[in-house]
Formats: sequence, C-alpha cells, structure tokens
Amino acid sequence: MERIDLQRPEAGQGSRARFNVLRWSGYTMALLVIAAWAFILLEGNSGLTDLFRERTWDNTGRFIASLAGSGSDGPSPFVQAARWRETGRLALNTLAMSVLAMGIAGVGALVLLMPGARNVSDGTLGGAPSRTGAVAYAAVRIFYTLTRAVPELVWAMLIVFFLSPGIIPGALALGIHNLGIVGRLTSEVVENLDPAPARALRAAGASSPKVLLYGVFPQALPMFLTFLMYRWEVVIRTTVVVGFLNAGGLGREFRLRMSWFHYEDVALLLVWYLLLVIAVDLLSAQLRRRVRWE
Amino acid sequence: MLVSRRLETWFTSPRLLTLGIIIALGWSLSRVDWQQPIGHTGGGAAALKVLLALFPPDLSPEFLRICVVASWHTLAYAVAGMSLAVALGLPLGVLASGVLATSSDGSNLRRRTLMASVRFLLAAMRSVHELVWALLFVAAVGLSPMAAILAMAIPYAGILGRIYAEQLQDVPPEPVAALRSTGASPARILLYGYIPMALPDLLSYTFYRLECGIRAAAIMSFVGIDGIGFQIELSLADLLFRQVWTLLIFLVALVVAVDWWSSRVRRSMAY
Repeated sequence: MERIDLQRPEAGQGSRARFNVLRWSGYTMALLVIAAWAFILLEGNSGLTDLFRERTWDNTGRFIASLAGSGSDGPSPFVQAARWRETGRLALNTLAMSVLAMGIAGVGALVLLMPGARNVSDGTLGGAPSRTGAVAYAAVRIFYTLTRAVPELVWAMLIVFFLSPGIIPGALALGIHNLGIVGRLTSEVVENLDPAPARALRAAGASSPKVLLYGVFPQALPMFLTFLMYRWEVVIRTTVVVGFLNAGGLGREFRLRMSWFHYEDVALLLVWYLLLVIAVDLLSAQLRRRVRWE
Repeated sequence: MLVSRRLETWFTSPRLLTLGIIIALGWSLSRVDWQQPIGHTGGGAAALKVLLALFPPDLSPEFLRICVVASWHTLAYAVAGMSLAVALGLPLGVLASGVLATSSDGSNLRRRTLMASVRFLLAAMRSVHELVWALLFVAAVGLSPMAAILAMAIPYAGILGRIYAEQLQDVPPEPVAALRSTGASPARILLYGYIPMALPDLLSYTFYRLECGIRAAAIMSFVGIDGIGFQIELSLADLLFRQVWTLLIFLVALVVAVDWWSSRVRRSMAY
C-alpha cells in the first residue's frame, strides 16, 4: 500500500479506510481457507490419502487406457465412419445450442440495454430524468443479479421440468445465465460512454430510438460484441454440462456412454468437444480482433 | 487494386459481422427439432405451480438449518478449490509470462519453448469444463471430495494462469529494469518487482473468480458432492418447489455477498 500512498499523497485521508478493507479481507480470506480445508479434510474420508496410494494411480492408468480402447471388444468407434457421422451431428447440435444461447443473451441484453443503464434514467444522456426510468433501472439490475447468480445447470434443472428435451431448454438455460452477465457488462459500458453525441442528437430533436441508434450503439457495440465472444468461449464448454440433463447434443450422449462404461465412445465425444472448444476459441479471438479494428 | 481494397474493407466491416451473426442464428434455429412441441404437456401448469410455490418459500427452522449447512458446504468447496487453483495457477502463470528469464539468458529459443508449452498446458486445463473433469475423475478413481476439488481447481488454474501471465506482462518495465540493473536475481525481480506491482490486478481477478467458484461448487452436486446444488436436486426430485425457492434464495444471497465483498476489495485497490 505504501507505493500507492507515495504516488498519491493527496489520497492519504482515504488510505486508512482502504487499508482496513484490505487487511480485513486478507484475514477473513485466510481464515476461510483454513476453515474450508480443515472442514473438508476432517469431515470424513476426503480422498486426500488416496492421492498417494498406488491403487489410485493404477485405476487412473487403467481408465486412460480404456479411453484409448484397451479391453473393449469389437471395432473401435474411431474407425467407424458411421460413429463419426452420428457424433458429428451431436457436435453440430451442441454448437447450435451455444449459438442460440448467445442469441438469447445478446438480444435480451440489447433490449434491456437502455433501461439497464443508470445514465439513461437520470438524464445524463439527455432527456429528462424520470421516475419510471429509475424504477426500470432497479428492476433490470435486480433481474440481472438473479439470472447471473443462478448457475446454468440449475437453470437447466428447472427448465427441463417444462420444456421437452432438445436444444431449446439447454440454450434457454445458458442464455438466461449469460444474459445476466453480458447485460450487466454492456449496461456498464453504456454508463461509461461519452454522453456528448447522445446529448447533441437529443438537442437536435432526435427521437429516443434515433439517439439509441446513432448516439449509443456505435460506441457501445464493439465492447458488447467482445463480451459476447468472450462468453461464447465459456458457453461452448458449458453446453456439454447442460446437455447432461437430457438437453440434447454431446452432453447427453457423454453421460449415457459414461454410465454404460463405453469409454472409447466417451473418448470420441471428448475429441469432438475439444474440437468445438478450439474452433470457438479461435473464431472468437479472430472476431474480437476484427471488432477492435473498427 | 481498388476492387481488392474495397473487398478488404467490406470483409472487415461490421456489415459482414452482422451478416455472419444473423446467418449463425438462423442456422442454429434450423437445428432445432420443430416437429415436437417445445413444452411438455402440462408444462405450463407445472410452471405456474413452481411460481406459486414462491409464496411463501419453505422457511421452517429444520429446513433453514439444512440450507445453512448446504451453503457452508458450497462455500467451503469453492474456497478450497480456489485456493488450490491459485496455488497451481500462480507458478504456471509466472512461467507462462516469461518474466523469470533475464535478458542476459541469451537462449531466447529455450525461453520461448517453455512459455509456449506452459501456455498450451494452461489452455488444455481450461478447455474442459470442471464438471467434465469431475465426471472423468469419478470414473477414474471414484467419488471423493478431493476429486471434486481437483476437478474444480484444474480449469480455474488454467484461467487464472492465463490472466496472471497477461497481468505480469503488463507491469511497467522501468522499475523492473532498475531492479535488474542492481544485479537482482530473477527470483528477486519477481518477488520485489513484478508481484508487488501486479498485486492489485492479481487480487482483483482472483476475487472476481471466487464468485464463479461459488457457482461451480454449487453444481458439483452432479457428482454427488453435498451443497446447495445437491439439495436443489433432491428437492426437485421430490417436487418440493417451496424448498427449491428457499435454496435458490440462499444461493443468490451467497453469490451476491461474495460479489459485494469482491467489489469492495477491488474498489479499495483502485487508484
């Protein structure tokens, strides 16, 4: 902390409180870490000692060998074109699920973009401050907090109650959770953007949609797309997990094959999974760079 | 010449991106099986029933006790997983950033190979979701709390390592050069140059990740680890929707509390 105080002597007044937050957080965190590990190690058989047993490593070796096809009878799924086609179709469904999820999150975040930004309702972007705007702001932010706090998998558990299995429930679960994340980040971008263009437009008599279109979108869009791409990388990894709950795609097949001990098929599905992850990572990096050029 | 330039600007223009996004969305919609109804028969009634169960949620003392215990489980697993992730991710991040090598080392190739291979390792660790790791561990060595913590720590260490490496590389070079000119060893330069200067960023990101860690720990229920997710699964299986709501409230409260704490820490370090 000394470094900061040296750089900004005028901040000396606040540095005491700042120091206390940090110190308090450090102690609490240390205490939490100790308590958590003590609890896990003492509660029952934590499995820590298993890590140093030979049998564990034998089992691990055997599992990896069976992923590679040892001990299975019949031809490997890796040499059957039909298996590649089948699993490829599932991989495409998984990809579609992730794209659909991003669509839901993206469209939702765009629709809630204006009410979710504080500088819209308090009049910083031009226009009169309004009570309805303030209420809408609070409602949208609470909605974002709720959707963000509940993990994708829990959303999926709830959604499979109403929706029939397929891509849609998985995409919806992923979309809702990511709407909370992307929406909050994008609204914060709108709050931080330069208000001058929007104000000028408003002063020239532009309607609200026009202010949004010409005063806000051009500035906020690159960051919005960047967030969307970043989240897409996370979502493609999570589609498989959501798929465990009958939501279609690779995940469901992965879980079934796992429970049937068809480890070679599991390996094939993992190959598709990794291909998807790598492809999306590369595409996202490419698109993000492209967006930044504008 | 002119055509090619025009083509190039068109390809890098937002128009193409917009078109690509629309095509991608259309394609994903075409993969949906529209033949079958989207909702279950009676799905609407079930949804209504779930919604009405919120008024009121199950607030009986016995159940609240279960919720508190489950929340503690989730928090403990999140903290344990995160601490292991930091312990793995920080050294890997330092190696991946390449800050340990001094410029006098000479063998640039060796340094680059090391950086690239650590980066590849980090990418491999984070390319698989923690629950997939967990399922693989369960199949390999059976279910244990340690397996769940490791499953969580591996992808998180992959993410932390990557971000730590970027943050260490962003450290301003002048103080480091000053340290180096005094003849400090690479370890000292790291300890007294890089780490202190990157500390606010490193801590901010670690705290931010803790919030994600809570959610990750909550869904470890999938491999049978006790916690909020596990209890939600049990209550859903018994169709006790009022309990589900109570558990969701606890989960949201836990995440919001950690979020608040981490934003306090981040704000106190902002300068």
